[in-house]
Formats: sequence, structure tokens, C-alpha cells
Amino acid sequence: MAVQEIMQMPTPAPPDKIHHSDEAAKWFLSVALFSLVVFGTFGLITAIKFVVPSFFAYISWMSWPRIRPAHVQGVIFGWLIPVAYSMFFYMIPRLCGTPLYSEKLGKISCVIWTIGVFIGTLSLLNPAGGDHAAGTLNLWLMTKGKEYEDYDVVSNVFLTAGVLLVAINTFRTIANRRYRQIYVALWYAMATVMWTALVYVIGNWPGQAIESTFGIPAAFSGTNDANVNWFYGHSVVGLVATPGAIALAYYFIPKSANAPLYSHKLSIIGFWTLGAIYFWNGAHHLIYGPIPYWLQTIATIFSFLLFIPVTAAVVNFLGTVRGEWHQLRYNVPLKFFVSGVIMYFLVSSQGSFMALRQVSGTVHFTDHTIGHSHLALFGFATMFSYGSILYAAPRMWRRPLYSEGIAEWSFWLSLIGVIIYVISMTISGFYQGILWENYNISFIDTVRAMVPFWHARAGGGAMMVIGMVLMAYNIYKTATSPAPADEVKPLSTGAANLAQAN
Amino acid sequence: MAKPQAEQSVFWLGSFTALTFIVAIVATGIAPSVNPHLNGNFSDEDHYHASYQYVNGQLVQVSSAKIDDSKPVFGYTLLQERGRLVYQREGCVYCHSQQIRPLASEMLRYRIGSSVAPSSDEREYIYDQPHFLGTKRNGPDLDRVGGKYSDDWQYSHLYNPAQMVPGSIMPAFTWLFVNKNPADPSSVPIPTIDARALVAYLQTLGAGREVYDPALNGGKGGWRPWLKLQDAVTNQTMSEDTVHRAKVPIIVPGGSTASSSVMYQ
Repeated sequence: MAVQEIMQMPTPAPPDKIHHSDEAAKWFLSVALFSLVVFGTFGLITAIKFVVPSFFAYISWMSWPRIRPAHVQGVIFGWLIPVAYSMFFYMIPRLCGTPLYSEKLGKISCVIWTIGVFIGTLSLLNPAGGDHAAGTLNLWLMTKGKEYEDYDVVSNVFLTAGVLLVAINTFRTIANRRYRQIYVALWYAMATVMWTALVYVIGNWPGQAIESTFGIPAAFSGTNDANVNWFYGHSVVGLVATPGAIALAYYFIPKSANAPLYSHKLSIIGFWTLGAIYFWNGAHHLIYGPIPYWLQTIATIFSFLLFIPVTAAVVNFLGTVRGEWHQLRYNVPLKFFVSGVIMYFLVSSQGSFMALRQVSGTVHFTDHTIGHSHLALFGFATMFSYGSILYAAPRMWRRPLYSEGIAEWSFWLSLIGVIIYVISMTISGFYQGILWENYNISFIDTVRAMVPFWHARAGGGAMMVIGMVLMAYNIYKTATSPAPADEVKPLSTGAANLAQAN
Repeated sequence: MAKPQAEQSVFWLGSFTALTFIVAIVATGIAPSVNPHLNGNFSDEDHYHASYQYVNGQLVQVSSAKIDDSKPVFGYTLLQERGRLVYQREGCVYCHSQQIRPLASEMLRYRIGSSVAPSSDEREYIYDQPHFLGTKRNGPDLDRVGGKYSDDWQYSHLYNPAQMVPGSIMPAFTWLFVNKNPADPSSVPIPTIDARALVAYLQTLGAGREVYDPALNGGKGGWRPWLKLQDAVTNQTMSEDTVHRAKVPIIVPGGSTASSSVMYQ
């Protein structure tokens, strides 16, 4: 439909003053911020153990290989997805001019989701059972042992139920909308919950547990298992975390910059190419691996095709901010978004080139990948989430943000921390990859050469964690501060500074 | 008024997003799964045997698993299968990959003595459930570690890695050992069943892999285990440096027929 036609459509009657209670959004946000601090700290412990291997050693459930998956799973399923759901429950009713389908259902889904994350984390730490409290070997209760699908079967059931309830809430609310046009942020919100449900069930299929318990063939094995694992693993990043964060950006960038979206046509291109291209990338995690050669080639080609949705989104976001750059001086949410957009472009370009055989041959299996994943999930998705909650939390609780200064501190700590992290890991990845190409250098020497980079990484990681704590503290104080006496329009963050600047 | 576009209808938007998923899973998921090499539909002539393990440097057949499509076959003994579970629980896969890529530097890095490690073949993994291909090497690849070290070396290394490899950042898996009397300095830690199972599994890695050797059978050529008998460790402990720094001639691994490794060369 052409823009002119939309302009000529009768303007819907302004909705009666809807009181959005945002209960479900608040619940999900609380869980997300708590998980952020806990699992961010897990990550810091992981980084410290590289430098000081004896740090919390000799305790089975505190050992590196158990803390590390708990960190990765925790930040994805405990922080990124709940914060996205929280912001969905904030923005969907406002974009649809209707209350959320069911706040009660939203709260139930939050409880179920939280139980799932808790059980899953316990299954990875595996603190009891077995010989000498080394942990249980029960396949239904222990880790599945595969990247991004490590959580045990019991927690998978809870998380699947949680995402299905969120999907019901999302779709029913949008079906009840008062405006005919569905804004692009809503497409991404719907796609995120649908893709999460589809991908999650496939990736977490408990074949191993079923097969060993009931003796019926139910599981993929060998390289098939690896292929399905990475189909799922890449989709978790590309079709759960990415569209979730982009949905937030499409709503909160225009809102926090107080500027219209640059191009609706670009958003259409970005959305459909993202859906069509991202699913095909899984095999680029197995370049040169024992999977069919054509499958690797497909993954490389589609990795480069990803430039289309990425560029479309980045141009759209930066175009929205054009003419509003002066706001970067005082508008903290916008700072998070603009730095996140830039890192989104950087990480996606880096990912495309890492899928080349020649590049992968050197940097695969090195710290380069670790820098890449943190640039994606922290530099891009978490920065977007920070910007969103700084904008939304004062409006959800209807009181001003507790402290603009603390928000500034969390921004600069996060930004400088992730830059130190990613640069040290990127260099160390190339370095170690090149050292490995000389097969006369023993492996342990290539490990020793990485120690300076690991120190830098632990420092950058510590800054990121301090930023997380400050962010959680800021939102906590905002939520618990006494309500303003006069129920006026909630102060937007930066509004006070804006008044001063003018 | 024009008909609603896909982006204006919850139904069509949902249907199209689901369609993107279905198209991709059909193409990237199902096609590799019907690859006959991955279903166990190959004969013994294809020279891959899963049920072998290095015991004190000798390659022995420890199970007689035969491939049978009608029921699940693991190809591992009960002890090795438990070792895989321990490997899974302890999270070994987060630091150790199990795939030798077809790169010369990699096949030479993971050589043992004069035996050059052949690159990994998809058929080596058919019994692996879950797969342990791995994605990060904080420690070395393990796909050809069977027969490289003695069992005693592996126990000592699991109990205190930095003692065996100075500078190692590997965690000490002390909970896989029990010390009956810690106060007595002469009392040594005894590996539990978990540690024994884990080491039994580690000794299977690469044990079934054969390479084509043109010098065999009086110049007619034939298949042999990739790790030559004189290179497999017997009972003495070997340091990593003596293994890696040995000067060896380069052997082109023939490995397998119609496999991915052939395509790369």
C-alpha cells in the first residue's frame, strides 16, 4: 500500500485513555535484570579462571567447564530473551492501542520461564549426585552437552511452555489492535516468538535421553547431530536474539530520538531477507569440518547475503537519527542505540568474513570467535536492551529515572569494556591461529602466549559487569522510589538535561 | 482500497515467517540426514571400525558392535559409553574439539611420532550421541588422542594438569579421584569409576581410523590403522614436547573413499 493511501485512510478514533498496567513487563524486566547481574558475574569468573586457573578450583560445580555454559545460556535465556519479552509487553499494547491480551498470562509465563532458567542452570552446574558429589549422570537432569542447547530436558519443557504462552499473548494482543497497519516492530516481535518456539523445540529435542531410556531410536548422531545443533545454535543468535533486539530498536530509536522512522520500505526488505537468509547459516560453524562440502559452501554464501538485512536495518536506524545527532550529548538511551547499531554492523560484517574458508581456517577454534559472540550479544543486543529499558522503565513505573549520572556511567563502562574485550580477543584470535599454523610450536606455548590478552579481557569484562550492576541498581531505585505526588506525564530520560540545554 | 499486504495481516505475516523456517529446515536439515554415509549404511570395506580402543599401546577390539539399522547401536562398550557421559557432564567439549580439519598444519600438529593425523571423516562419528565436534580449542584437539598417552599419564593429567604440562590452564578434576587417607603422604589418589570410564573413552579417539598405505602388501597397497604400532605409547609416560617436536616425514593420508577429506585435497 502506498504511503499516500495510508495517509488517506480514516484516522482511527484516538483510543480512550488506556491505563497500561505493564505488570507482566515489570515482572519480566525484574527477572532479566537479576539474571543479568548473576550470569554476567558467571562470565567474569570464567574470564578470571583463564588468568588464575586455581580461582575457585577443586569444587566440581565451580569448575570452568560448568560455569562457562551456565554463563552463555544464562545471558541468552535469563537476560536477553526475558528483557525482549518485557519490552514486547511494553510496546505491543502501545503500538496496538489496546491493553495486553492478558497481564495474568504474561505473569504466569514469566514465572514458568524463570523456573526453567533456574532448573537449567542447576543442571549445568550439576552440584550433587554421582560418585563423590561429582554430579549426576542422569540424561534427563544433566547437560545435553551441545553448544546453546546445554540446558537439561526438564528446563526445556518449562522454557517451551513459557515461549508458547508469550506467543499467545503477543498474537492475541496484535489481533485485537485498533490500527489496521502493523508497525514493523510488531512484525519482528511476532517473528521472534514464533521462530523461538519453532527453533527451540527442534534444537532441544531430547533424543539422547529418550533413546537411552526407552531404547527406541530417537536421536540424531554424529555429524547430523552437529548439523542440527548449529542450525539451532546459529538461529538462537540470529532469529531469537537478533530480531528481538531489532524489534526494540524499531520502536525505541524513533521514540527516544523523537524522530520518524527513516524508511518503511527498507524495513520490509530487512525483515523478509532476515527471515529468508538467517536460517541457512548454521553450517558456517563447521567450516572445514566433517560435514558435506556443499553444505559449508551454502552457509558461506548465505553468510555474505546477510549484508542485505543488516545494511537495511543499519541504514534505517542511522537514517532515523539523522539530524538528531546533537541529542547524543544528553540522551542516554540514544547513546546506547547508536553505539549498538554501529557494533551491529561491525559484528555482522565480521561474521560474514569469518565464514570464508581461508579466514575460518585461521581463526576458527580461537578467541576470535569469543570476541565475535560478545560483540554480537553484548555490543549489539545488550546495548539495545539497555537503551530500551532506560527509556521504558520510567514510563512503566511512572516516575523519573533514579539517576542520569549512573546511566551515563553504565553506558561508558559498557562501551569501553566491550571494546577492550573485543579488541583483545580479536587480536589474540588471529595471533593464536597464526601460531597454530606452525606445527613445530607446541600447543601449550600458544596457550602461554595468550595470557596478556586474557588479562585485558578480564579487565574489560569487569567493566562490563560493573556497568550491569549499575544498570540494575538504577532501574531498581527507579522502581522503588516514591511515586511523584502529581501524576503528571512521566519524565523522559534526558528531558531534564534537555530543558537545561535549551 | 487495495488488498491488505502481508505485513498488515497477523495471519499472513505469521504464515510467511513460518514458511521461511520450513524452507530452510528442509534444505539444510533433511538433505544431509539422508546422506547414506551418515546412516551407517556402509560396509566393512570402507575401513572404519568404531569398536576399537588402545590398551597399553595395543589396538584391541573391545566390542563387536555390528551396524544394524533396526535398533540403536552405540559401538561403544558400557565403560566407554559412561566415559562419554562423564565427558559430557564435565564439559570437556567447551575446550577440546574433536575434528582434525584437512589443513596440513593441523594434520601435522596432531601427529604422533611419524604417524600423521588424517583429517576427520564424517563416518567416524556415527556412534556419537551427542556429537563432541566442539567449537573452541582452549586445549588441543582430542580426535587423535587415543594411543598417544598412557592411561597413567591421563590419570595424572586429569588430577593435576599443570604438573604434567607446565602452564596448563585446564581445571584439575580432583573430584574424579578419591584419596582414602589424605593425611598420609604415601596414600595416592585412586581414580573413580568415572575417571576410568573417561580415560577408556579417550583411548578410543581415533582408534578406529585407518589410512591407505601404498607400501603394504608388497607394494600393492592396503589399509592400516593410522597410528603405527611403534608410535602408539606403551606404558612409559611421554611429554608433550617430545611428541610434538619429533622431525617426521610428511605422509599424504589417503584415509577414506568418497569422503569429505578426499574432496578437499
